[in-house]
Amino acid sequence: MNALTESSVREFVDRCVEQIGSTPDKTLPLLQAVQKQYGYLPPEALQHLSERLARSPAELWGVATFYDQFRFKPAGRHRIRVCVGTACHVKGAGEVFEAFRRHLQIPREEDTDSQRLFTVEQVACLGCCMLAPAVQIDDVIYGYLSPEKVPSVLRDFLSQTQTAAGAAEQKRLPGGTGEVRICLDTSCRAVGSHRVYQAFEQVIRRDRLGVRLRDVSCHGASYLAPLVEVEAGRRVYRYGCVKPSDAEAILHRHFRPQTLTARVGSAVRRFLDTLIEDRIGEPPVRFETTIRDEDLSGYVKPQVPMATDGAGRSGPLDWEDFQKQGGLEALRKCLFEKSPQEVLNEIEQSGLRGRGGGGYPAFRKWQAVRANPETPKYIICNGDEGDPGAFMDRMLMESYPFRILEGMAIAAWTVGASQGYLYIRDEYPLAVERMKEALKIFSQHGWLGERIGGTDFSLHLEICTGAGAFVCGEETALIASIEGRRPMPRLRPPYPSEKGLWGKPTLIHNAETLSLVPAIVRQGAASMASIGTAGSRGTKVFALAGKVRRGGLVEVPMGVTIRRIVEEIGGGTASGKPFKAVQIGGPSGGCIPASMADIPIDYDSLTQAGAMMGSGGLVVLDESDCMVEIARYFLEFTQRQSCGRCTFCRVGTKRMLEILERICRGEGTAADLGKLETLGHLIQAGSLCGLGSTAPNPVLSTLRYFRDEYEAHLQGRCPAGRCRALIHYTITDRCIGCTRCAQHCPAGAIDMQPYQQHQINRDRCIRCGTCKAVCPADAVCVESG
Amino acid sequence: MMITLVIDNRTVQVPPGTTVLQAAQSLGISIPALCYRQDFEPSSSCMVCVVEVEGFSGLMPSCALMAEEGMRVRTNTPQVLAARRAALELLLSDHIGDCEGPCRSGCPAGMDIPRMIRYLAAGEWTKAIEIVKRDLALPAVLGRICPAPCERVCRRARQDQAVSICLLKRFAADRDLQSPTPYRPICRPSSGKKVAVVGAGPCGLSAAYYLVRHGHPCVIFEQKDKAGGMLRCRQLQEKLPEEILEREIGLIFDLGVSFRPNQKLGRDIYLENLRRDFDAVFLAAGQGAAEEHLASRLRIKDGHIEVDHSTLQTSMEGVFAGGGLIGSRRLCVRAAADGKLAALSIHQYLTEGRAAGEPWEFHSRLGTLTEEEWRKFVSSADLIPRVEPAEPEAGLSEEEAVKEARRCLHCDCRKKKNCKLRQLSTELKLAIGTYKGQRRQYARADSHPEVVFESGKCIQCGLCVQVLNRNKVPEGLTFRGRGFGMQVSAALDEAPDKAAGQAARLCVQVCPTGAWALKNR
Repeated sequence: MNALTESSVREFVDRCVEQIGSTPDKTLPLLQAVQKQYGYLPPEALQHLSERLARSPAELWGVATFYDQFRFKPAGRHRIRVCVGTACHVKGAGEVFEAFRRHLQIPREEDTDSQRLFTVEQVACLGCCMLAPAVQIDDVIYGYLSPEKVPSVLRDFLSQTQTAAGAAEQKRLPGGTGEVRICLDTSCRAVGSHRVYQAFEQVIRRDRLGVRLRDVSCHGASYLAPLVEVEAGRRVYRYGCVKPSDAEAILHRHFRPQTLTARVGSAVRRFLDTLIEDRIGEPPVRFETTIRDEDLSGYVKPQVPMATDGAGRSGPLDWEDFQKQGGLEALRKCLFEKSPQEVLNEIEQSGLRGRGGGGYPAFRKWQAVRANPETPKYIICNGDEGDPGAFMDRMLMESYPFRILEGMAIAAWTVGASQGYLYIRDEYPLAVERMKEALKIFSQHGWLGERIGGTDFSLHLEICTGAGAFVCGEETALIASIEGRRPMPRLRPPYPSEKGLWGKPTLIHNAETLSLVPAIVRQGAASMASIGTAGSRGTKVFALAGKVRRGGLVEVPMGVTIRRIVEEIGGGTASGKPFKAVQIGGPSGGCIPASMADIPIDYDSLTQAGAMMGSGGLVVLDESDCMVEIARYFLEFTQRQSCGRCTFCRVGTKRMLEILERICRGEGTAADLGKLETLGHLIQAGSLCGLGSTAPNPVLSTLRYFRDEYEAHLQGRCPAGRCRALIHYTITDRCIGCTRCAQHCPAGAIDMQPYQQHQINRDRCIRCGTCKAVCPADAVCVESG
Repeated sequence: MMITLVIDNRTVQVPPGTTVLQAAQSLGISIPALCYRQDFEPSSSCMVCVVEVEGFSGLMPSCALMAEEGMRVRTNTPQVLAARRAALELLLSDHIGDCEGPCRSGCPAGMDIPRMIRYLAAGEWTKAIEIVKRDLALPAVLGRICPAPCERVCRRARQDQAVSICLLKRFAADRDLQSPTPYRPICRPSSGKKVAVVGAGPCGLSAAYYLVRHGHPCVIFEQKDKAGGMLRCRQLQEKLPEEILEREIGLIFDLGVSFRPNQKLGRDIYLENLRRDFDAVFLAAGQGAAEEHLASRLRIKDGHIEVDHSTLQTSMEGVFAGGGLIGSRRLCVRAAADGKLAALSIHQYLTEGRAAGEPWEFHSRLGTLTEEEWRKFVSSADLIPRVEPAEPEAGLSEEEAVKEARRCLHCDCRKKKNCKLRQLSTELKLAIGTYKGQRRQYARADSHPEVVFESGKCIQCGLCVQVLNRNKVPEGLTFRGRGFGMQVSAALDEAPDKAAGQAARLCVQVCPTGAWALKNR
């Protein structure tokens, strides 16, 4: 980066203000533009922005310092963001984070290496939970990381920087005899689907195969990603975990090359049945499994797609596909056939409840906004899905952007809103990009803007991106964030339906709720009301991740049991051992033990069990997961994300976290457990917003169901062997003397002794687990107590 | 159109736009609140004012909750009371500061040393002696003979040497004694009740002084011919010139205390007569005095008169005892402290029928400071070595006193008497340390000439931010960051007091704690 001169900074700020605007809702976009340009917010820029926006410098400072996205000192050229979401956490994200820092030799208290090439940060969740642990370097996401893969990831990134970003989206090849479908959403890209796409494109062009190559909505089966679907001769073939080098073989199996040379070559290359080879870790993003169709059908069959209807088939931004799937039908019905009251009745009868966490009946919100005489009214789509371990909304926004927009239009029309925002997490760049594009296409076709369809209904929508603050998922905070204020939740009542954006009545729903609206209107309330349980109608999309064999996005009818999801859809744990618990609802939810796996998943049963639907993260835990540590993890998250308003949340969660940390170190006392419960209940009762009032849930639920684990820690034992202070690593006589552990140990705690049993120097050991991960003979074991 | 709601089973009507807190107030139900201030936007952050409202699952901050038709509110359920307590305890777990300085806590008479020193540093001699005499009747005397337990606990010692508190007090007192119009406290008008004080040592003299200030005329009975008691013993003669003693005792007598010399208990006067002739009796005759006489009339324990140590009440109603009679009093200041306490107890006894003693007050503690914090902590003081008087006999000169006074670190809170956090913690009898854990870093902004901001005492109510916005202060304040580390800050981490500028006094006014304070209070 060049040296900044005050005048150049001022000039840049001026340009941004001209392009973006200077109304209060442009505060965040302006700060983001400056941050993007300089990698941080230079003081001169803040100063000048404050003049241009006519807001005090302090006000801007308050806004900027609230968000994680903004930096106040220069960053390295590339930004490494290690995801510490739930799924990544249980799969060792902490060790990966440390490995990056170690490898780059970043000094304590710093976050950037000495050459200022990389800045290493943590990010709450990238929404690629099934590829855990995941890391984002600039715009490239890597999945399945482990500490020893760090050097190769960095090498790969530096060698790929020129080519990796921005895959060939939307470039449709001329159609032909068949079709190849590849999902290019964030999590599929993280395992290289864009490279697979490029490889297919190359082969198709080179060999003039006359095959239509399409990027499609996510199939949801993240565990098989990159998944390639080939439609040839009226049959559909699916290939999981495809590598770019497989493109040719797969294509040639189904399609005859048109050029002679290719035909000759292909004869040689026909070795599809031996395609499945084992090359773990090289390059780092790929892995191998066998392709088994029955496996996939076990995953797909129990699902009921509503929000995810058309998974794996439709192009996310394909206007024709959208209409073929019944898109716009519902909106047309509203505009030309029905009255708002009829639609409202439909929503009421469908039993739709908010999918964002609380499960508030959608109908009541709609009615309140509709009945409010104030104008203008606003509609907001909440796409600030911040729960670590949840990525439903990301996938819906990436795969079905039109559906969400149609849902918004219907809702706006029903309640009389004429303006609105989509507030999307900054950690979801592809979702932002696709929603933006979808908005453009929607407007081009006249379904947004002035006098839609010739009626007097007008709707203007804008996209707003968050800046790294979990609490912005709370509706009053989200509204404050759009308004360019510090996003601190406030007391409700008044609810947004009375006093929302700019103090006007506002309907706010999360992306999943809105994406269900078109189907309800199109197919009638019964289509939803007939599915699910009495209090919870319809389906729910869950992000299934953690120690499960088949993970990804699943949409199931409400009322299905946890066991069905984990065992039937998820295929049980990856290790084949029984699962221990399921963490539902992320930081607001709780851990439900396997013994209760037969309770139905609906709003009320989960709340009764001490968990919560939350936004739908579902992380499967096995015996290697420490429940105390999981509770600590979530509390660390909420504690960090607390806005700081309410005493109970600001200080209370901190005190709870400290107690949990003590317990994890084996320094807890029996009185600590009681204190945790007392504080937990007080925080629940005495916090204004959902973040605070649900923050103790992970602790209280684990205390309720896994008290024995807490008690073991009080005695200095971590039964799961996770808590570092309470464990040590040893190498058993299964050691084959291969020296891999010694080679990879970052602390030099293992001496290299070829062909002999290795030993770990406990004083040097930092308990990072690398030796255990790299040992080919499973000779490293963890002991506790 | 009025709104009707029920608070604690009582119905009240209020106009629309009334908060539940205000509605409760109109019923005479006071709900404590810290972050709330009338006419300001409620920040609903401290959660001390929470109430239960039917239909809401959690607790609601009454300061921000609008009264609604048919609302049923409860302000005193066990859950509400527990939450209120816990909210305060949590705030205090991250509160960095002493309510009172260690010197004051270490002084048996509880003299407000830091305040005295602030006045001395500012050259305000009269105000200094006024503060001194609130707790000490004989400062010029004690300024010469007191072994100064206050200096033993002075934090300044960590840096170099304790502040010369004793000499500073002596300076304040001497300067007053020498003035043509020495300080004369405003005494309450006479209550018409009479008190007998037996013994004219430091304990009895102190009692008399404060009894008169409370408005109760008194008579001192002394077995010797002169007042002074153990202050006239041989060991002290060298340090304590007779003239000083006489003059300071004189100031007490001038307030209207009658002195009866040569009156020995059990010989010339008798407890039952005193009890009959006076409304209350204070026994301060010194160690071993009239053993036989008192032992047959009052309950004795371990060779001393048994008293309730919080009130100095003996086993006989209306009779109080202090000084050497109730225990070993090697420090004169201890005896003097007894006298002051007895005066208060007797005052309470005479006006309310019951002695209660010094009311308990909550006391926050600063705790241990790291090296880095320490450097910040001492930075407001002059880092010069302790000032020794050029003429030890004469004590500190004016110039020396000011110099020495500027060495004080002002450990105490400048708003100890009007801090809502302390008041409420006192009311609820909170203990410190319920929730121990990591706390903020000590920080202080004191570049402003009059105002100081100590962020460790901030409860994040944001009233200062609001008041500056209202007054359109161009720089303004905000909250920086979020969560546990959130704090009041100016843009680009400039000093908050500087950013507040001219309006900093307004911040002091609205701040419910001692975070914003006037330097010279």
